[in-house]
Amino acid sequence: MKRPRAQSEPTLGGGVAVWLGSSAPARSIRWLDGTLAAAAKFGAVTAVAAGDPTWLDLAADRANRAGLASAGVPTELQLDYLGWAQVMAAVARQLDASTILVDEASRPERFPEVAAIAELLDAAQLTHVVAISPDHTKDRGSVIHASRVAGTELQTCRIRGPVVIGVRIAGPAIEEYPTPMPSASMKRLELAALGLDPVVLGHRALPPRTGQPARKTVERVAEHLSMHVIPRAPKGP
Amino acid sequence: MGAVLVHIDLDGDRPHPSSLAALAAGRAVASSWGATLYAALVIHDPTDRGTADSTGQISHGHVPGVETVRAALARGGADKVVVAITDAPVSSLWASVGGAWQGVLDHLRPRLVLFGADAPSASEVGPRTGARIGARLLVRARAVGLDHVELRDRDGGYVRANDGGAAVVLVGATKPTHIGDDDIDLVVLAMPGGADNRIEIAGSVPAEVSHGSGTIVAIDDASAGDAQIMGAATRLASLLGASVIRSSATPLAPELCVAIGSLSIDLAGAASLIRIGHPGGKHVDGSIPGLPGPALLELVKTLEDV
Repeated sequence: MKRPRAQSEPTLGGGVAVWLGSSAPARSIRWLDGTLAAAAKFGAVTAVAAGDPTWLDLAADRANRAGLASAGVPTELQLDYLGWAQVMAAVARQLDASTILVDEASRPERFPEVAAIAELLDAAQLTHVVAISPDHTKDRGSVIHASRVAGTELQTCRIRGPVVIGVRIAGPAIEEYPTPMPSASMKRLELAALGLDPVVLGHRALPPRTGQPARKTVERVAEHLSMHVIPRAPKGP
Repeated sequence: MGAVLVHIDLDGDRPHPSSLAALAAGRAVASSWGATLYAALVIHDPTDRGTADSTGQISHGHVPGVETVRAALARGGADKVVVAITDAPVSSLWASVGGAWQGVLDHLRPRLVLFGADAPSASEVGPRTGARIGARLLVRARAVGLDHVELRDRDGGYVRANDGGAAVVLVGATKPTHIGDDDIDLVVLAMPGGADNRIEIAGSVPAEVSHGSGTIVAIDDASAGDAQIMGAATRLASLLGASVIRSSATPLAPELCVAIGSLSIDLAGAASLIRIGHPGGKHVDGSIPGLPGPALLELVKTLEDV
């Protein structure tokens, strides 16, 4: 079942990229800023976003403020986690990036994209990372130290080689931020230039859904929360 | 009809309750769809039992130490149990279990794969499984219906018997049940290859609430001063497996936050937010305005009765 790597696919190099996703953060941009600040520790890094022009401008502006280069994939497609992973994987190959950080805290649909990007790049994956530090020493080579939340534990991990890391790190609090101007420095990457056919990619399009109105009654709220009730072991032997 | 496969995490020497909940949902779906229900787990065996070649060895019969698990899975409704044996220590990371789990996927080629949403490895292994088999992904869905059972999430996504393609579902809101026989077939896959050594767990310590995951119940000072409301908040937290916090100066990124009263809380966009005693607003998934006490008590009672 594993997708075979095509003969013509380039192998990954040693670069670092950050996947900021396909739409603006839902509540606050401080988690986006936190991811960019964490990525800046790696040196030369490119922040990548896809979607509508307003979001691309915001992503480029925040990346610029963090001292990072930026690349944007303009598209009106609304894709599922595998569709966006195809986009980011294609950009990673274009940028020759082997370490990908993903801002998985800014929107709920982002965390499965970590695994999907890793799968397409044949990379290792690590989700729920709350602290990260690259370590370049001559005797040990390139190692990334990461702390991740696993239930009630905080695991410390060492990472070597190609990896996609889902990051949950907050930046400083920001009440308001200036409206970003269209970025001249952002590198625009068209889908076709990435080797992606929008028609084929459209097979991963999400079906249009009516927006869920906020639940306003005890019954509706209970229905929502019931999905999070912790199962107890059944009684018996 | 393809196989329905349920991933089983272990909690000590027994299946994790969330995995058993996923098994109960899988039982309902498999019975409705006419599919075989497989429960599969990865266990560590350092003795290198027949993993010399690169294809994995298949056998039927006995694996020391899994009889308790097999009996529990049989009672939980599984038709067959698959045990993938790896020489790598098992953890919740894809890096440690992915190779062995791939053997299970190759062996069964399932149409539907279920994980307990609160099982330890669900967030790491579930989406990667979906990506590997090119499946749709539903997060926190439940089985609904009687004759024609389907899986449905809270945002309107669903998986039905006549859908094309595979699906991976992280199951919530389902109670584990005792419905099956004690005696069912056990298939053993001895998988070579071990762990992905690109990721190594160096150690672990208890996590703080500020590290952010799972569920948080946040309560304002006025509500916390009311013994009845605080008691209800504690019961709610127990139901949700949540921590109760009074306020937080640090930003938080849980999966779910229930905020009681009018407190201000700095949440990441990925978090689902429910407000009790507050009119709600932008990026709020649900709210009950008015005094928090009566609504909270009714909410807790409703959830306890579910």
